[in-house]
Amino acid sequence: MKPTLRTGLLALALGISGAAAHADITVYTAGPAGLAKALAADFTKESGIKVNLFQATTGKVMARLKAEQANPQADIVISASWATATSFADQGLLLPYTSPNAATVPDFLKSDSYVAEGVAALAIAWNPKSGTNKPTDWADLAKPEYKSLVTMPDPAQSGSAFELVAGLDAAGHDDLFPALAANGMLVAGANKAALTPVLQGAKAAVFGAVDYIAMGAKAKGESIDVVFPTSGTVVAPRPMMILKSTKQADEAKKFIDFVLSDKGQEDVAKVYLMPARTDVEALRPTITELKLLPQSSDAYAKRGEILADFSKSFGH
Amino acid sequence: MPLLSGLTAAALVVVVALPFAFIALQAIFPEIGAGSFVRPFAHLGAVLKSEDFGIETRNTLMLGAGVVLASSVIAVPLAGLRALYRLPGALLWDVVFLVPFMIPPYIATLGWILTLQPAGYLQQLTGVNLAGFLFSFPGIVVVMALHSFPVVYFAASRSFATIGARFSDVSRVFGAGPGRAFWRITLPLATPALAASLLLVFAMSIEEYGTPAVLGARFGFDVLVTGIDGSLSDWPIDLPKAALLSLALIVLALLAFALQRRIATARDFDVVGGKNPRAPTRSLGIWQAPVLALFGLVAFISTGLPLLAILATALSRTISGGLAPNNIDLSHFEAILSDTTGAMQAMANSFSLGLIAALVAGVFGIAVAYVTTRGAGRGQRVIDALAMLPNAAPGVVVALGLILLWNQPALPVTPYNTMWILVLAYVCILLPQPVRYTVAAFQQINPSLEAAARISGASPMRTALRIWVPLIAPSVLAAMLLVFTVAARELVASLLVAPVGTDTIGTYIWRQFDQGSVGDGMAMAFLAIIATTLIPLALLGGLRRFERKA
Repeated sequence: MKPTLRTGLLALALGISGAAAHADITVYTAGPAGLAKALAADFTKESGIKVNLFQATTGKVMARLKAEQANPQADIVISASWATATSFADQGLLLPYTSPNAATVPDFLKSDSYVAEGVAALAIAWNPKSGTNKPTDWADLAKPEYKSLVTMPDPAQSGSAFELVAGLDAAGHDDLFPALAANGMLVAGANKAALTPVLQGAKAAVFGAVDYIAMGAKAKGESIDVVFPTSGTVVAPRPMMILKSTKQADEAKKFIDFVLSDKGQEDVAKVYLMPARTDVEALRPTITELKLLPQSSDAYAKRGEILADFSKSFGH
Repeated sequence: MPLLSGLTAAALVVVVALPFAFIALQAIFPEIGAGSFVRPFAHLGAVLKSEDFGIETRNTLMLGAGVVLASSVIAVPLAGLRALYRLPGALLWDVVFLVPFMIPPYIATLGWILTLQPAGYLQQLTGVNLAGFLFSFPGIVVVMALHSFPVVYFAASRSFATIGARFSDVSRVFGAGPGRAFWRITLPLATPALAASLLLVFAMSIEEYGTPAVLGARFGFDVLVTGIDGSLSDWPIDLPKAALLSLALIVLALLAFALQRRIATARDFDVVGGKNPRAPTRSLGIWQAPVLALFGLVAFISTGLPLLAILATALSRTISGGLAPNNIDLSHFEAILSDTTGAMQAMANSFSLGLIAALVAGVFGIAVAYVTTRGAGRGQRVIDALAMLPNAAPGVVVALGLILLWNQPALPVTPYNTMWILVLAYVCILLPQPVRYTVAAFQQINPSLEAAARISGASPMRTALRIWVPLIAPSVLAAMLLVFTVAARELVASLLVAPVGTDTIGTYIWRQFDQGSVGDGMAMAFLAIIATTLIPLALLGGLRRFERKA
């Protein structure tokens, strides 16, 4: 159980100091559940510290954090959207910490209060059994061949899809979305909702699929290929952060250290994410091998505007 | 009586009023989550004036009305045939029509998509797909009505059976045909139960999330609930807007509730008096085969097709492999049964939570129904409205209210972050079901029965045990079954308030769909549906014996 006022009072009454044993830590994390469970189990094995997991979408994690503001329950938050970390840092909600294991994490994947757990990239997920030719670039999916056969995660719901829209806008591909809309591209749901119709063959390709989810499906035998578009893509690092309100700062820091350790990063690599550390081997193409779109620095400030433009293209 | 009223009111305040008060506070004070009362009403104008708000409200009303209409078209004829005629395998049909309710709506919807979309199961088998129909307003209405018509079916058939043929026989004596007798006598007499069940369907439809979210998103059909979920999920999170939209939804449901109350209390519907011979049901004669075909057709579309789609997906090694012999394997069931992913624990959690919630809600429902139908004064209307309130709010809003309320640091003890918060959530969300069912049962009991018992010297306790309990027990048990079933698969509230590290059936399946394996999710769904059908089945058997004794 998480130490609440009740257990706190109990401890006081019994005259036990909190330092006698390791306290549990509570981690709120965006998917994938398998990774979160593996990291928690391996960490407990190594340190003896128990981890209470709450796993949901980034949106639900943030909603719970916000509703709990009066009495925060989480010690560590792992999100699938880098913007949540920058925003939490701006609001002064984070405990500054730089893990010694973060030395080989590239600078753009860390700050003084948050650091990437791993990195996903956005790609085209294409079903080879769809009867279409393999696309090589984003613009291919606006061709008549893929008419009404493309899905895309809704950038309002998927943080990574938003980064892609912002990245493509910044790179001057503004005309892409009206063309895709005219070609009948379906924008609906979050990441998995966009992938399932492609697996069954109702659609041929996902524009802006989160690559590791599609790679995981392929590994299970699904008919799906991941294509990194030739004009470049964006990456979606997954930030982890310690909340300032934590009462278990030492244990929380140990958890961050563990996720960035060799063992922790191997767990991350196993689900086809890129490890945050450059010196841990990945099971897939890494940042250095991918062509990236130029970073858009003010994307978050312009979020509302970018989303409005996007939905205008789709006639909503 | 005053003691019971007081206790009931106090319990309602804790379980219902306080969480909703916190939602109202959140709507007014944007920073209440952080314990601050700054900038009141900062959001109100912008939200109410926005174009989305008008469209979402209109769509919500259209959806609610459409599902109510479609559910009654499906359920009322079936219920009439079931209650008034000797239907071969009557109890079996009851069980079969329980199943649509056991299938979580988000699962059924996914099943429909996998079946009807281009390259879906239907196309793989017959070469045609019905995507155009599925992703349309009539499509959403039909999918939702196929899920909710059992609510009307059970309420209406129970009520028709209680009314029996005695009253319509009188009209037959005066020359009315069977159809006319049903329309003019039996159907109007069943008004309280019908109105109550239709209100439940309306409230269920306007607060349903999964189906409008998945199907509606495909053709830009937004309702208030999807708006609420959007403000709770899309970065940046907007709690005040979610709370405001929830209040709008609550207002809609309260209006429907007022309408239902007006209809149900406009006239006197007592049909259970001192002399109550259970009228024998009639034979169907030459209509037996067509009627059975109708029952079979509805059962196949509402139960068979979704179950087959779920099973097909659960048995497919991969989705892209489709319906092919070499794609069939049991790996998804093995993954669930070997419990490597915590599936069994999730099932155990959900079933025990569902059981506790059903017991608590049942007792609660009887108390509320008794106070509101037998009590006097203004208080009873407030109690009735409070018990109805949760029906108006989507689960995600109840969850939000529960967090805001029970996570206050000043509380000396709190159920938050324990399993009890889920019990609170389920009881709160589902309380209207036992209340509606029990109120309708009470409304059909003529108070003269109670008076007769008292005149004959029975104590109030004895009156309750010998008169009410046998008469309301079937309704209460049916409602408790409903609570158990819905609680055992509840998703949206569970996702938000489940204590850290706890999975329920709903959250487990959702995680599989979200980032795990759709096949594992469907295998779990299939096993959960079987289990939630078998448990009530055993109870229904008991219920039948009980009825016979009474």
